[in-house]
Amino acid sequence: MKNIITATLVPTLASTFAFLSLTTAAPARDLSISVYGASQDAYRRLLYAPFEAKCGCKLIVEAGNSNERLAKLEARKGAPVIDLAILPDYSAVYAARKDLIDPIDVSQLSNYTKLYEFARDPIGNHYGVGYTFYATGIVYRTDKISISSWKDLWGPKLKDKLALPDISSSQGPMLLMMAERAFGGSDPAFSTGMDKVAVVKGGVVSFYSAGTELVQLFQQDEIWAAVTGRFNWPLIKRLKLPLAWASPSEGDSGGMNVMVVTKGSKNRDLALQFMDFWLSTEVQEKLAAERIDSPGNAAAQVAPEAAENLTYGEDNVRRIHLVRPDIIDQQRAGWVNTWNEKIKP
Amino acid sequence: MSSSSRPVAGLIAPAFCFLLICFIVPVLLLLSTSLQGHAGWSFENFGTFFQSTLNRRVLWTTIRLGVLVTLSSVVLGYIAALSIVDLSAGNRGRVLGLTMLPLMISPVARTYAWLVLLGQAGVLNDFLQLLGVTQQPVRFLFTETAVYLGLLQLFLPLMILSLVSALENLPPDVVTAARTLGAGWLTVFFKVILPLTREGLIIGGTLVFTGSITAYITPAVLGGSRVLMLETLLYQRVHLGNDIKTASVIAVILVGLSFVANYVIRKLSSRKT
Repeated sequence: MKNIITATLVPTLASTFAFLSLTTAAPARDLSISVYGASQDAYRRLLYAPFEAKCGCKLIVEAGNSNERLAKLEARKGAPVIDLAILPDYSAVYAARKDLIDPIDVSQLSNYTKLYEFARDPIGNHYGVGYTFYATGIVYRTDKISISSWKDLWGPKLKDKLALPDISSSQGPMLLMMAERAFGGSDPAFSTGMDKVAVVKGGVVSFYSAGTELVQLFQQDEIWAAVTGRFNWPLIKRLKLPLAWASPSEGDSGGMNVMVVTKGSKNRDLALQFMDFWLSTEVQEKLAAERIDSPGNAAAQVAPEAAENLTYGEDNVRRIHLVRPDIIDQQRAGWVNTWNEKIKP
Repeated sequence: MSSSSRPVAGLIAPAFCFLLICFIVPVLLLLSTSLQGHAGWSFENFGTFFQSTLNRRVLWTTIRLGVLVTLSSVVLGYIAALSIVDLSAGNRGRVLGLTMLPLMISPVARTYAWLVLLGQAGVLNDFLQLLGVTQQPVRFLFTETAVYLGLLQLFLPLMILSLVSALENLPPDVVTAARTLGAGWLTVFFKVILPLTREGLIIGGTLVFTGSITAYITPAVLGGSRVLMLETLLYQRVHLGNDIKTASVIAVILVGLSFVANYVIRKLSSRKT
């Protein structure tokens, strides 16, 4: 019901705004944004097109892998082509450290106070605003094993039946953190977690870097459990195997994506308008209804069928222990080196 | 002399320009990236690359698999090619057509087919359990054996085709002559056939070795994260690490290996004469 209401309401609102903005139309401007490559058709329909109608401007979209896009931001430092970028929280910390982005004047964002507390200033100094987040947890075959703790991944039944994220993938740090916590370590660099992963490496079928690999591994009966981001769950669930998202006693880990504004952007005002539009309850609900992004806006309502594929609901949100982005930023290079020495084949 | 060389230069020019712009210049740029250190030109990137035990291990795996695949395809290729040239003209065409058939199928599809065969729920495991050879499914995927099989299947046709065309140019009477003069089959092969089909062996060997060490899909799909080869490492460095310098070092090593392979095969096959 909620979906039907939002589905009809949002285009109506959007076109009303578009009509209003026509009367005050300034010369057409361009806003350049840098985003992930996934779901671009849906973003165009639900986010870009309504915003263009509203602002009378044109969005120029650069889509791709976050590492590549971050490298481009760095290459154009001082004379940015991009106005607003979407990055993982730890990449935003890097961007702030390298002076590529500016703090955001959150008083200009009418939807700011609707965000979850942890999404409001995830990297400090208002350098970024979290618009979506996800859990990182364990998917497992319910007919083969049971999982009640992250330690169960080290059990003998999962020898040669386990897939874990590679350190170079976005999920690597989350795995290290949960291994650190499960085995009682307290090193901010997750050295206990690293040692524990090294112990189990012989029984790991694949240290994957692309989530799509997991679908095939489950399908071929190569694995019975995997650590993965919630965004891969819909793909895996489609296999119609007896699979479940585990609820380990230690909780889940997770990550967040943030919006940042580049230093020296000539379209700051437009970028902030776009940001506010994206954070609005209506847009966040539409993106959630199509299972694209879990809402960072706590006021957004999501129907159960869609919520099952997202990270939504008070219980799920409370279970998540995000890895501090500044820690990932500091430790990443060291982790990759240790991982290469201790864990790579 | 000069009157005939001018039109030749004119005829070569378009192809030369194409190669210059689309091949030679980019390769030189690539080479130069690998030589850019922190402070100007140096071999620093190569030093860093070889310091890592992981990189050395990956290089060794790549060379080992490349050599194994090449040697196996030489043995299997000669057997297949010798049988093919003995066929009647019509049958020869048909068998050659079958040999070429896999080359017309995308390497992605061919590699994925191995997943169906070698997986834990795959045909081979079902078969072994049906026969009672094994009780539990055996892991074939993500091992060097799987990558080896995949690469061999991928590149063997190139070796067979090179050897068939070389054997077809073999003067028809030399084998009979050698036999008449009392040479055994092994002597005939090493003293007569091998030297006379040298060019085909060099071309086939270089194609197979270069193809094997630069293949991406096969090691990525059949080796997974457990069997890294230089090409998969290169992809990881670029795509996940954004580390263009290491990636260009790997690219230079791959190009270098191809030249070395060509040289070695040339030397080995000419020593037999």
